[in-house]
Amino acid sequence: MRQSSVGYQVERFGLVLVWLAVIAIFGAMRPETFLSWSNFSSIFGSEAVLVIVTLGLIIPLTAGDFDLSIAQTLTFVSMLTAILSARLGVPLAYIIPIALAAGALVGVVNGTIVLFFRVHSLIVTLGVGTFLHGITLWMSDSQTISGVSRVLMQYVIIHRIFGIPISFYYAVALAAIIWYVLSYTAYGQQLLFTGRGREVGRLTGVAVGRVRMMAFAASGMMGAIAGILYTGTTGSANPNSGTTLLLPAFAAAFLGATCIKPGRFNAWGSVIAVYFLVTGINGLSVLGFRTYVHDLFYGGALVLAVMISQLVSGRRERTL
Amino acid sequence: MNERHPPRLAIRGLSKSFGGVHALSGADLAVMPGEIHGLLGKNGSGKSTLIKILSGFHKPDGGALEIDGKPVPLPIPPGRSERIGLSFVHQNLGLLPEATVLENLIAGDHQRVASWFINWQAEAARARRLFAEHHLDLDPWAAVEELTPVKRAQLAIIRAADRVGSHNEQATPGLLVLDEPTPFLPIEDVRELFAMMRRLKQSGVSIIFVSHDIDEVMEITDRATVLRDGQVIGSFETGRTDRSEIVAAIVGRSMSQARLVGDAPSGTDAATVVKGLRGRFVDDLDLRVAPGEILGLTGLIGSGYDEVPYLLSGASAAVAGRLSMGGRSHELRRLKPADAIAAGIVFIPADRQKAGLALDLTLAENAMLPAMVQGGGRLRIDHRGNRTTTAELMRRFVVKAQSPQQAASELSGGNQQKLLLAKWLRLDPKLILLDEPTQGIDVGARREVYDRLLEACARGAAIICATSEFEQLEMIAHRVLVFERGRVKAELRGDAVKKSSIEAACYGESRIHASV
Repeated sequence: MRQSSVGYQVERFGLVLVWLAVIAIFGAMRPETFLSWSNFSSIFGSEAVLVIVTLGLIIPLTAGDFDLSIAQTLTFVSMLTAILSARLGVPLAYIIPIALAAGALVGVVNGTIVLFFRVHSLIVTLGVGTFLHGITLWMSDSQTISGVSRVLMQYVIIHRIFGIPISFYYAVALAAIIWYVLSYTAYGQQLLFTGRGREVGRLTGVAVGRVRMMAFAASGMMGAIAGILYTGTTGSANPNSGTTLLLPAFAAAFLGATCIKPGRFNAWGSVIAVYFLVTGINGLSVLGFRTYVHDLFYGGALVLAVMISQLVSGRRERTL
Repeated sequence: MNERHPPRLAIRGLSKSFGGVHALSGADLAVMPGEIHGLLGKNGSGKSTLIKILSGFHKPDGGALEIDGKPVPLPIPPGRSERIGLSFVHQNLGLLPEATVLENLIAGDHQRVASWFINWQAEAARARRLFAEHHLDLDPWAAVEELTPVKRAQLAIIRAADRVGSHNEQATPGLLVLDEPTPFLPIEDVRELFAMMRRLKQSGVSIIFVSHDIDEVMEITDRATVLRDGQVIGSFETGRTDRSEIVAAIVGRSMSQARLVGDAPSGTDAATVVKGLRGRFVDDLDLRVAPGEILGLTGLIGSGYDEVPYLLSGASAAVAGRLSMGGRSHELRRLKPADAIAAGIVFIPADRQKAGLALDLTLAENAMLPAMVQGGGRLRIDHRGNRTTTAELMRRFVVKAQSPQQAASELSGGNQQKLLLAKWLRLDPKLILLDEPTQGIDVGARREVYDRLLEACARGAAIICATSEFEQLEMIAHRVLVFERGRVKAELRGDAVKKSSIEAACYGESRIHASV
């Protein structure tokens, strides 16, 4: 049986092993700076936003759609949160539902255009994302907005458990929810068939249109959660914050699909992939490499991840 | 026909076998200049093998080819056929719908159109002259997707004629092979196409017209050749031959199959009744099928029988029609697959790879999908339970596989089909709709599929099976409806359900003949 073979287990945990190897190499080279707990706790805390964006992406990806607008949803909601809090003094209890609704609305707009006008999601979400960025720049007058309520920062970055900012635990909790929904609920199976066998699903009674719409709404809300946390992490909103997160999130989503449940986008694989990628970047910058390594590393990882998953599925086809 | 000329095309002793099976053995065929020659035969008679040898797709095992008296070495290198005077129009026509008429007309014409500059005005003028010459009402700048089906067919044919006329190294009008261009066209359009073919014939073009439709062949061709089991049964002058003689040549004497079913169940109280069904091809169909009955639907290609299961299951939207079963009535225009399943109607499509199974998902996931849609365990899937259930189903339906967690792509076609049966029959449906249930599966698996269907039937399910395999109907159908142009043309029941009588009904007199 394939599931119990040694090779399959190595495939499942391959990325974890590579991650540990990367930690060992950088640790051996810079034991004091790289291997310190403060370095790791800051990695875990600050990259929670990227984890949540990646988790948001895998929902429509599982249903066979791309959501390129998620990073700009993050920026938009982050800015919305900052303006409501810092400029208008709206209490947090109102801001959060408003922000989540805004994210869901973006998803519904994406879904509506994709489903009713039958346009490819890649194009729709690229356009909607750019449009949102325009709104964000307009709202903020292209300025960084600071002075956000300290309460938000308390609940995002200042509180720590075992020395790690609480935002990390939010990301883990969301990963657990998405893992459960994808693997243990009927909705997860409907999502999977919508992506991998849309006609099969439709003929078996899956409302594929509704499933895709829900997936877009969910990724919009995940983008919104990431946006709130982003504002909470820095206490301010920068109109270009999300722009650099899209590619790393895609790289992590595809890299994550090569482990834990190889061949499928999955929550824990995504979490591991994000931390593998940021560990690599962090290690390289500790070694003294400059910012260009970000692009080299993320871009390279995305292409490599897609190549690996093609190789894996190609190998499966050859064994037919 | 000019008897002094050598034949435009002469084939002698053409043979081809695949893995020891003779697809074509020692076939002879001669087509004269300016002749329209019909090529008739059932599926698997060798028609398509012959055509694929002519187009250079297959390499023949033996045989000789002469064009206008000159020997042509076989196999024909791909891309050479136009230069030796042959051109092909296949059923799908080979047009790019998004492109314009002109773009399609010159696509791939590398010999005449320079690759580094296209003079569109000059090409358009040339196209207009060509269309005028053949009395075709085609606008070079129109998009092909906006053309009616018959105009598309005309474009494909004129393109083939143009190519062969301008590239033929022998400088003759050449030979066109039209491979089933008509089955999806209404009668008036077929007439229009025939008029065009007659004009081409006037200008000296030879045509091989491949068709299932004997009446069309009788109407348009000068002579016709019939193939059966890879052999040429005979060539006939269609004007002087009786229709029944040609039918006999096509059908031959067929071996009887052991029937696996007895008389149709008589109880009609709980029958499923369909009234006024209309779809893309199906035209005002009424039918009734009783619990425990297997109703076969068949016909020639394009007759519309294969659309029925899609319309009754909500897989494609019907234009009109009602289905009543078990005291409930369903408007077929609004029926969705989920409604059909809830009503106890299941559908197993012919396209296993795309519509039947999600190939990269596991057997358990595929088999248990209906439960994931119909509720039950919505918030907590019992994966272990699903695997056990799937393993049991695999035993019951004899699906040969290692584990329920294998990807469906790793199974053979027969085992995939049995898994699909397991997925749907587990729901204990009242009505089972099938489209080509044994396509691409081996004899052993076929028998197992029949056994499972007969079991379901014995438990009181009604089955509607659309298939082009007449032997299958002889084996398992209580009753058969034969379709033509979207309507039922004949009904066979009981002992009359025989391969030979189904064939006879399919090739029997049709409307086009009656209206000539």
